[in-house]
Amino acid sequence: MTDPALLEVRDLMKHFPILGGLLQRQVGQVKAVDGVSFAIRRGETLGLVGESGCGKSTIGKAVLKLIEPTAGRILLGGEDVTELPPDAMWAHRRRIQTIFQDPYSSMNPRLSAGTIVGEPLENFGLTRGRETTDKVASLFTRVGLRPESMRKFAHEFSGGQRQRLGIAKALSVNPDLIVADEPVSALDVSVQAQVLNLLIDLQEEYGLAYLFISHDLAVMRHISHRIAVMYLGRIVELADKRTLFEAPKHPYTEALLSAATAPDPKRRRQRKRIVQGDVPSPAKPPPGCHFHTRCPYAVAECKVTAPPLREIAPGHHVACLLR
Amino acid sequence: MTALLEVRDLHTQFNTLDGVVRAVDGVSFDLSRGETLGIVGESGCGKSVTALSILRLIPAETGRIASGSIRFDGRELTGLDEEAMKRLRGHHISMIFQEPMTSLNPVLTVGTQIAENVVRHLGVPWKAGRERAYEMLGLVRIADARRRLDEYPHQLSGGMRQRVMIAMALSCDPQVLIADEPTTALDVTIQAQILDLMLELKEKTGTAIVLITHDLGVVAETTERVVVMYAGRKVEEAPVEALFERPLHPYTVGLMRAIPRLDVEADIAGKRPRLQEIPGLVPILTRPIIGCAFAARCPLATGRCRTEAPPFVDAGGGHTVACWEVAP
Repeated sequence: MTDPALLEVRDLMKHFPILGGLLQRQVGQVKAVDGVSFAIRRGETLGLVGESGCGKSTIGKAVLKLIEPTAGRILLGGEDVTELPPDAMWAHRRRIQTIFQDPYSSMNPRLSAGTIVGEPLENFGLTRGRETTDKVASLFTRVGLRPESMRKFAHEFSGGQRQRLGIAKALSVNPDLIVADEPVSALDVSVQAQVLNLLIDLQEEYGLAYLFISHDLAVMRHISHRIAVMYLGRIVELADKRTLFEAPKHPYTEALLSAATAPDPKRRRQRKRIVQGDVPSPAKPPPGCHFHTRCPYAVAECKVTAPPLREIAPGHHVACLLR
Repeated sequence: MTALLEVRDLHTQFNTLDGVVRAVDGVSFDLSRGETLGIVGESGCGKSVTALSILRLIPAETGRIASGSIRFDGRELTGLDEEAMKRLRGHHISMIFQEPMTSLNPVLTVGTQIAENVVRHLGVPWKAGRERAYEMLGLVRIADARRRLDEYPHQLSGGMRQRVMIAMALSCDPQVLIADEPTTALDVTIQAQILDLMLELKEKTGTAIVLITHDLGVVAETTERVVVMYAGRKVEEAPVEALFERPLHPYTVGLMRAIPRLDVEADIAGKRPRLQEIPGLVPILTRPIIGCAFAARCPLATGRCRTEAPPFVDAGGGHTVACWEVAP
């Protein structure tokens, strides 16, 4: 690969303290992200999938620089942005935007939709006044909203339209990368289809890269180019989506795929054995391979040795001692 | 054989500042003994209100069952007084909800909550109620059930809380279990465990299940028969295999094409295909809907669809559909 990655994350760690007792002293820590590395190319969608508490949203926040990582580096276009001073951070923020699961909670209810979408433009000094209005109108049209609705307030839009507003706002400053955290999880199926189509269209039109965070494997298979599967703060498998779905190598990936439901009544009789039990607490992850407590193939060594993420075939990385 | 539960032409309405919302607008279906029926549709289609109507849990200050009939085991429920309904709920008809934490009492132990239900409905002594609670926790495969009896809901994981809800719902051997999005808040691997558990317990106890969900995958893998709802109305009903093999209503067809597929690679030559969108929005339920509720978004709609509500036509094999344009 001659083209340097747009975003590169190296050995990222984020540990949160657990406070307890009368004096609220630190009594432990949650290793929400425990040594994660990946890269995203320009125009590519990397899917980050896993169950609650696996650390996928924490990675999104670290990439957005909304939280300080405990250790590790984050590189944007080859430049280390892990510890940028505030003034340099400004330009960096323009290049990475975000779309949330619930855009409504991030919108000021007293501002018109046009103002909300135009705010980043003015904040970054990209446009002013009349120019902003024109740009916002064209953004509205691009995401499938009527420019007349710029005067409306956020509560006057449906859930799907609000997500379009969120997309228009993220798009306004011409970012290179959009971190999308469960952007379609709250939407109905028919509206979800509209938003996914829009995200793919915009990616192809503007060469955007997405870090797409979701728990929904079907959505992942549709929108991603490559997918990283996470379990308790670590990536257990990373591959292009065809390999991941058709030849998964990590037992946890296998378990996830066999547990997911598909709209095909014939499939239920083919369902394989699925893992039992709950995900262990991220505050007390099992030693060795975090998955060994639920893994049907686990051997003694899995309980003591944490498997590194190894490339077993070009582009296919697996963290398992047995594969 | 008559059905265990018969819902006929149910209309449930709510008074709001914008007018009367016709949340359920003439829905009919049957549930046989031991059967698993799915009710599927998107937000606001009336699927949850249908369930709450059966249990008569529509808040009286805002809503009411305007007309229609709900017969359970030959008995009409719409006119029953609250005391009689209380004897029915949690005993003969039970319900589990999406978020167990809001249905479980946070200040009572799990064992106490299950035992309460048993003592109340079956009139057994408290000790027997506790023993039943222990037995039920074992049945829903909660490990170390004896110790868990004395734990509070917040000490349990989300999946375990849903198991406790199921244990409580089944503690008096109900004939009907209504499950409203029981696995929507759960992670994928936990969802699979809970769905498998529900089906396994159904085989053991013979309880009929009404499974309400927006998730076509869950419907496909757990139910025997499916009712598809749109804007307060039933638009299609079919055995599950027939519905997925040959959906007839344009809305059902649209839904199935809108979902991304988990089980098949959709990309063509490395290019991601577009999902089929259903254009437009759900109609506003405060205005009377003339004709077919889906007409405004339907690719097949004609003049008649906008003026005359389509009747249900039989497509054979228990498959019925309300559409003028689809010839069965």
